[in-house]
Amino acid sequence: MSKRLLSALIAALALAVGVAACGSSSDSSSSGSGGGSNSPLVGAGSTLVAPLMSKWQSDFASKSEITVTYGAIGSGGGIEQITSRTVDFGASDAPLTEEQFEEADEQGEVEQIPWALSGTVPAYNVSGAPKGLKLNGEVLAGIFLGDITSWDDPAIAKLNPGASLPSTKITPVYRSDGSGDTYAFTNYLSTVSPEFKSKVGTSTQVKFPTGIGAEKNDGVAAAIGQTDGAIGYVGLAYALSNELSMPLVENSAGEFPEPGVKSVEAAADAVTKIGPNNEISLAELPSSAKGAYPISTYTYVIVPLESEKADEMKKFITYAVGPDGQAYGPDLDFAPLPKQVVAAAKQAVAKIGG
Amino acid sequence: MEAGALSNPVLRARRNLTDRIGEPLLRGLSGLAAALAVAALVGIAYEVIDLARPAISEFGIGFLTTNDWNPVSKDFGAAPFLYGTVVTSLIALVIAAPLSIAISIYLTELAPLRIRRPVATLIDMLAAIPTVILGLWGILVLGPFMRDTIQPALNDVLGFLPIFSGDPSAFSYLTAALILAIMATPIITSVTREVFETVPGDLKEASYALGATRWEMVRQVVLPYSRPGIVGATILGLGRAIGEAIAVAQVIGAAYTIHLSLFHTGGTLAAQIASQFQNSAGLQKASLAYLGLILLVFAVIVNVVARIIVQRGHIKDGPDVDVDAALTEAQAL
Repeated sequence: MSKRLLSALIAALALAVGVAACGSSSDSSSSGSGGGSNSPLVGAGSTLVAPLMSKWQSDFASKSEITVTYGAIGSGGGIEQITSRTVDFGASDAPLTEEQFEEADEQGEVEQIPWALSGTVPAYNVSGAPKGLKLNGEVLAGIFLGDITSWDDPAIAKLNPGASLPSTKITPVYRSDGSGDTYAFTNYLSTVSPEFKSKVGTSTQVKFPTGIGAEKNDGVAAAIGQTDGAIGYVGLAYALSNELSMPLVENSAGEFPEPGVKSVEAAADAVTKIGPNNEISLAELPSSAKGAYPISTYTYVIVPLESEKADEMKKFITYAVGPDGQAYGPDLDFAPLPKQVVAAAKQAVAKIGG
Repeated sequence: MEAGALSNPVLRARRNLTDRIGEPLLRGLSGLAAALAVAALVGIAYEVIDLARPAISEFGIGFLTTNDWNPVSKDFGAAPFLYGTVVTSLIALVIAAPLSIAISIYLTELAPLRIRRPVATLIDMLAAIPTVILGLWGILVLGPFMRDTIQPALNDVLGFLPIFSGDPSAFSYLTAALILAIMATPIITSVTREVFETVPGDLKEASYALGATRWEMVRQVVLPYSRPGIVGATILGLGRAIGEAIAVAQVIGAAYTIHLSLFHTGGTLAAQIASQFQNSAGLQKASLAYLGLILLVFAVIVNVVARIIVQRGHIKDGPDVDVDAALTEAQAL
């Protein structure tokens, strides 16, 4: 008797807790969607864009009273979250693949809009080698394929006439986690080297045939710092703010530009072709692109065309690609978007909300 | 007083009531707690299997033997990570187990009473170092030391073995294994110390009375008496080593194929999941979940084997050492 009473009691208790939980969750969702003109936006994705995003968040909130919450969980995570619509927008350093678009479109069409511009730079640590060592795409591809194995390789010596190069073994360092920098770097190497394209390919995560994998920018920087003869790649902002030793990479004009906002901007200015889904690759620069940095890359926002927060989303992206949003870029080593890209982005924004 | 209280009808009624409700309430609540724990385990297993389903149907059981992990061509296999997990965990144990037993013998039999407590506490505190800090230390200090000193020395002496050949590297199976050994040592030490302390004093004294030296006493009394406990402790350390993700991911160097040389970069199940899960999607995410499932099965097998060994030890070695209690205590650390 008492046993039955007790189980009934527990069941009632569980029910009560359950109802309370459901009640509170439906409560919060209804207040979220019915909040009127200023519903907060939630986004997730790229870690590269995160420093810029934090500036945007506070400035945009003060200008429009719309708060933006952003989780820097990585580009892949951002794509996944927007595909399942658990966030209002996703941010990715790599443009979506066709397959990813198909998945994301399942719950209504999404739009991909470029909204920030930066670069990926190699960094090296070779004692006895000159500062600002000159390299080109083929040599970098050879190094990361494991074909060029010592720093006094003739291919490197040819680019650095007169420099004394040690015979130190080359240790390539790559990102072991998914990264927009890996995408930009492999996209560049695949463009300059057909062999790299067929053996490794382009993605945020690839299988390098040789070298050391390390976690995140700081892991890569630490691995380079601890290994004589190492060369890896990191985000432009990270490399500049940590004053890593960067080789100079030859561009299509035959120059060796300093990596930085100026040279990234020059690269973006030189490419006017905007592909389907606003995809823009800066890996293939025309030889007329003077001073252009060869490993520059756009980072994108992915947003559903139709959603309850379409108005807020429109305002936010318009702000981000506009002069106010882009003005924060240079201090954080992001180059401002060129005019034609801003125009394309605005055109895409107009499609949001029907 | 007692009798007086019971003779009071009001008090007696109240006591009956608490008896009637309290007993089943205790039973119900604690039963519920136990059910929750079981439900959590089953739920997690189900989720992992569900997440892994696309990879299971794509690769089947061949996943276990596929020696590749290529996110671009979407060829995924568990062999490199299974191999890395087994190799790093075993090396970690080979280093940590004898070390821990020696520490425990010292702390229970040899050390001056005054320093036993502080030293034991310090060793326990080794387990409190966040793994990410240990990994960082691995990158900055241990890795370079391995590359510049230990690996060349091993190569000089044992270089004819394929596992000790090849170029030294700071990021390697061996560095990861050493980090794991450092992590497993405090756990194994704390359990074996606990077990050694349960060896009855009269057995030890009897041994001394028969003219045994201290070493003979330890060898003939303490170690045989504690064997199941030592095995249990070692398996517990193994569990720690198999499951560790972050620190290993930091120092193992993320190579996606099997390499025989311990100086080479590699990967483990847990490390691969930790470094790639967040930023992956589709078949790769499913394959990572498949790795997780393998890890789960692996951990269950290790646990079951440990229990069997410990139980068998109980029967063979007679007097009951409360290993389970010691294990639980160590797990709580």
